[in-house]
Amino acid sequence: MGSSDETNGKKPAQSWAAQLGNDPWESELRKVAQSADRLAFKKLFEHFAPQIKAFLMKGIGSYGDRSQAEEMTQEVMIKVWNKAASFNSSKASLNTWIFTIARNTRIDFIRRNSRAERKIDIEDIWHEADSPEPIVDLQQRRVETQVRNALSTLPDEQALVLEKAFMESKSHNEIAQELGLPLGTVKSRIRLALSKLQILIDR
Amino acid sequence: MISYHPDSRYLTDFASANLSLAEAVCVSAHLEFCGKCRGHVQQLKDVGAHLLIQLEPEELEADSFTRLMSKIGSADAAASSPRTPAEPALSLNECEQDEAARSKELPRSLVDVFLPRSVRSLSRGGLQNLSWAQLGKALRVAPLPIFGESRETAIYDIKAGGRMPEHEHRGEEITVLLKGSFSDADGSYSRGDFVVRNAGEAHQPTATQDTDCICLVCLERPVRPRGLFYRLLEPFVQYRLNKLNRGPAF
Ligand SMILES: [Zn+2]
Repeated sequence: MGSSDETNGKKPAQSWAAQLGNDPWESELRKVAQSADRLAFKKLFEHFAPQIKAFLMKGIGSYGDRSQAEEMTQEVMIKVWNKAASFNSSKASLNTWIFTIARNTRIDFIRRNSRAERKIDIEDIWHEADSPEPIVDLQQRRVETQVRNALSTLPDEQALVLEKAFMESKSHNEIAQELGLPLGTVKSRIRLALSKLQILIDR
Repeated sequence: MISYHPDSRYLTDFASANLSLAEAVCVSAHLEFCGKCRGHVQQLKDVGAHLLIQLEPEELEADSFTRLMSKIGSADAAASSPRTPAEPALSLNECEQDEAARSKELPRSLVDVFLPRSVRSLSRGGLQNLSWAQLGKALRVAPLPIFGESRETAIYDIKAGGRMPEHEHRGEEITVLLKGSFSDADGSYSRGDFVVRNAGEAHQPTATQDTDCICLVCLERPVRPRGLFYRLLEPFVQYRLNKLNRGPAF
């Protein structure tokens, strides 16, 4: 499966090897988990932190500025250090694990800086449910290569809505308002984009 | 067997963490019952991860890593020194006593229902810890404390065979079944189902004869401005008014 590994993104193929199970960064993380290896952690930091900061800067919008994004990046990396042992590559790729930590740090920050509910632990809501009900294997690996290949071929209008949802932290409603589109149009653009990535919801 | 799932909008906004807290509580509850939707959320987060990794990197401050390591260093040092005892362990005791006192008055049905983590957290460990209001013979309602939201979230406990007054929503209503089953004109729903009713749709759910039905319900507040008195009563006022208008429905 996936023997020809053409690169079509801005990123080198190396980071996508990740998705196929032999991620060099995963072994760095394992060193952090097993022996608190600071050198390995530094490598992870240099690889991931600049992009985590970019993600946070896009997502916190009016709630924060550049220096807050820097502080939050540190917060994310502290969690990576502390939670390294709980990383399980059979559940999620390293990229996805880090995305989840960054995402939760972001909502926590927004919540602290708005009038929203503060007493609830974010991890109790946006958690990786470990319920007795087993996760359905939706041919995860195949989907990941599909995602990689298909993301770069999406029409601009579909790529835009995904970017707004996942990077700029906007709900369907907020995207609809911002682009001056009916909610239904935003929903169908996202659904079309997802189906090109072989993510088939609602059927 | 789960037959009603959150649609792509709920799952995408959940995976990107852009749902309101009240809606997220409902989706999160469904996910604990449904491996298929959990699989989708995982896929959607993969999309987020791919997009993140393709972002143009932002430059970090020059001393970023050094500062990070000094934070980690001091946290580790604090962790290895003997911990200062007793974070507020006292409040735990209070909770337990509280719980014991209240659960005496309440039927077992509330104590042994499986609670998703989000609901467990919001109800401080169990449904018996919530404040219940009896509305008619067949329905009890306990609001879940989520502040600063434009939605009202509550647990509904409908007696076996009980019928809710027919009601119409002025906003979207999400129901997640935690226990038992109910039906309305559009279908029948069982444990784990995620049922959405839009503004303007009227329905009259009836719990199945053999067991009580416990649901997590999240109701969008009406957009129309209303007096403070009515806002305080939301969402229960609809049921009460309906009951008055229609005579005994229970
Ligand atoms: Zn589902």
